[in-house]
Amino acid sequence: MGEQSMYNAMMTAVSQTLENMAFMEVMEHFDPDYEIPAQETVWTSLLINDPVQGEIRLAMSGALLKKLSCNIFGIDEEELTESQMNDILNEIVNTVAGLFMTNLLPDDQQYKLGLPEIGEDELPAAEPGTVIWKLMTGDEDPIFIYASGPALVAMNQ
Amino acid sequence: MKRIIIADDSATARMFIKRCLSIVGLGDAELIEVENGKEALTAAKAQDVDLILTDLNMPVMDGETLVKWVKANPRLCEVPIIVITSAGNPAKEHQLLELGVYRVLNKPVSPPVMMDALSEFIDS
Repeated sequence: MGEQSMYNAMMTAVSQTLENMAFMEVMEHFDPDYEIPAQETVWTSLLINDPVQGEIRLAMSGALLKKLSCNIFGIDEEELTESQMNDILNEIVNTVAGLFMTNLLPDDQQYKLGLPEIGEDELPAAEPGTVIWKLMTGDEDPIFIYASGPALVAMNQ
Repeated sequence: MKRIIIADDSATARMFIKRCLSIVGLGDAELIEVENGKEALTAAKAQDVDLILTDLNMPVMDGETLVKWVKANPRLCEVPIIVITSAGNPAKEHQLLELGVYRVLNKPVSPPVMMDALSEFIDS
């Protein structure tokens, strides 16, 4: 289970999370230079506190978040509340981060995660050294993941 | 009727757990939804409960602290606790089982996994 490469650890975590939560397939984005337009981006972040310090950010388009939320809650878009969408975004990053660390670390290594926090402002530019996964769903909706923090990024070998 | 506490700060996670409980045949159970370990402990002290389902990573009081409080309480210590978490790996699972947790399930939880974990509970 553990000690996968950082790339595989994250790919497996995102795939497992979105397939189980929303029956959505995830793959690498076909355009490595693609950026989600800032005005369409919703994002959340979560700190990894132990055994290394780092941060996981998850960003997607607001349209995909609505699609995911409708899918997961089984309700129409008009019935969705902002609170429900934020909760889903946070639960996705929480689940992804947990699976990622489980996949990355040896089985006998415990870890501690912080609580997810919705990004209120525009998504900040990635710090130098940040590892980025540019992914998309089967409908080509983009999902980007950012892993930052020197100690966490140093595990990317 | 079974009475079950679901402790998770995420409404989405609670919804998934409720959906699983319904699918595995516990749809008629009385479900008490709370957002952290402290609220779960208060609810467990206030009434007889048959099962506690809890996340680990919650504000105010986390799931591991809840487990310790429940296991230290003579009236509550026999209540089975199932931890449903995104922060579980074999080392954490071992530690939680040592504390007296009945089962540890990884998020996102699915009905077959829930069914397997609850089979003895459903039959009782």
